[in-house]
Amino acid sequence: MNPSADSATETSPGNDIALVCRGVSHGFGAKAVLFDVNLELRRGQFLSLVGPSGCGKSTLLRAIVGTHPPRAGQLRLFPADAGTEGKVVDSPGRDRGIVYQQYSLFPFLTARQNVAIGPMLDRTNIAFRRLRFLRWRRLRREQLQAASDMLDKVKLGDAMDLYPHEMSGGMRQRVALAQAMIMKPEIILLDEPFGALDEATREDLQNMLLGLYDESRQAIRRGDAPPYTLIIVTHELNEAIYVGDRVVGLSQYWDWRKDHHAACPGATITYDKPAPVFNTRTARDLEAFAAQREEIRRVVFEPDPPPDRHQHVLYGREQNTAAP
Amino acid sequence: MIRRPIKSSTAAILGVLSVLLLLGGYTFLAHRQYRSNPSDTTIPRWSQLQKGFASTIEVNRRSGDRWLVVDAVATGQRLFLGLAGGVVGSLLLGLAMGCFSPVEAFFYPPLSLLAKVPPTAALAVFFVLVGTGNNMYVTMIFFGVLPTMTLTVYLAVKEFPDELLYKAYTLGASHLEVVWTIIFRQVLPKFIDAVRLSIGPAMVYLIAAEMVVGDVGFGYRIRLQSKLTNMSVVYPYLALLAAFGFSMDSLLRLLQRKLCPWYESKR
Repeated sequence: MNPSADSATETSPGNDIALVCRGVSHGFGAKAVLFDVNLELRRGQFLSLVGPSGCGKSTLLRAIVGTHPPRAGQLRLFPADAGTEGKVVDSPGRDRGIVYQQYSLFPFLTARQNVAIGPMLDRTNIAFRRLRFLRWRRLRREQLQAASDMLDKVKLGDAMDLYPHEMSGGMRQRVALAQAMIMKPEIILLDEPFGALDEATREDLQNMLLGLYDESRQAIRRGDAPPYTLIIVTHELNEAIYVGDRVVGLSQYWDWRKDHHAACPGATITYDKPAPVFNTRTARDLEAFAAQREEIRRVVFEPDPPPDRHQHVLYGREQNTAAP
Repeated sequence: MIRRPIKSSTAAILGVLSVLLLLGGYTFLAHRQYRSNPSDTTIPRWSQLQKGFASTIEVNRRSGDRWLVVDAVATGQRLFLGLAGGVVGSLLLGLAMGCFSPVEAFFYPPLSLLAKVPPTAALAVFFVLVGTGNNMYVTMIFFGVLPTMTLTVYLAVKEFPDELLYKAYTLGASHLEVVWTIIFRQVLPKFIDAVRLSIGPAMVYLIAAEMVVGDVGFGYRIRLQSKLTNMSVVYPYLALLAAFGFSMDSLLRLLQRKLCPWYESKR
């Protein structure tokens, strides 16, 4: 649309970029949290975000959700109707789905109603639901049917009418995923989604995510738009490598003295590399990614020695050097 | 052992037993009183109570109306109007305070102060400001129940987790939908509990005011008949008040179970 925006085209031949973070910095009062975070997320990518506690993973996620816009820098989304310039993220919207560890469902709605509430809020308003009662009832039936289908997909077909307090933690997170997925958002954000689950349930849900990843891969192979793009925040390195096809490490332990800062200006991305792609049919072999796990631990989690911030960042390197 | 459960049939028998004991004890006391002084009216026997109650639903010779009817109409109307105003007002104010910080900052200090003033003590204030008509009782109940009910709604809204709020926005909700379709739904059962709890105080305020300045109504009649030690009228009136409060409470609980099935089954 705009010919001056050709800097974006050098990395994206098609319209396959979902999210761009440019120089995102944030802090609370005098406390610096994030410093110059640069990230480019491709459609269909499953990005795992890891980092030591207090490094600002949640702050970055909140910036992407739009509830807490950053102090400096910009986040842009590229939905189909926004053109090549994309749209700036400054408030939460229906193009980003979110699943939290806790409070992921509305307690006063059943599983099916929890999934159907997205289409209801998105496509109708209070006046329509009150005044066009008959049309609303017909539409509602369709939306509930769509919600049932979505619950079938996450293997909860027989828990449709349970309230959240009647479900197990794993079931709740499945419903929460279905709730986000039915909106077909540009990006699904998961904030430590399986942190409170036991190991077996956790693996079940990780495998479910791999199933979604598979669908996205197949769509790309067919030349279609991938249905799922995902960012998962986790403190579990095995989970990060297993579920994601790319691991991003956010860390406050980087060599900021070399960049002439008097104090740490905040956490930044010190690690950004692809992760091996797994599928659910082969047994998971934790040893297979021991080397990468160790590398991440050294670069992201160890305070000493502080790494150079660009050394382990493979993605988006062109952007960093091309910046003025 | 503490909290060891018992069979539901045992629990029912125990409940019935205590009520029977109450009635039996009263019968015994009334009979003893009657034997020592047959013209006594302090502990009337069942037959006297029946006669006393009958006198309240017959047309009274002197005043020309049925006491129970005029009293029930007057008291019921005042209570209903006062409570209805309090319910609507506290819901709107509590939601607004919980959702919008300026409203919260503006209303919180006066409300938390007013919540501590007993309306019965401030009777003269209502008397001076709105006169002695029905308006006074309604205003008094309204301001009596409003602060606590508003604070209940406000605190419940404050408890609403941020995560669910953000989630609603990512699902495409408008601000109005967040307040009405999400937050209100979640707060509703606690609000119904608050209404249940405020029926008692509302009745206390109303009866006390009627006793002081009323010329019709339950409080007025009870004070008058108490002075004459006409307990055969006073006791049925008390029983009616108890029955009214109990049925209002049951009705609200039923409403809560109907409207918020998720909440009832949680406890």
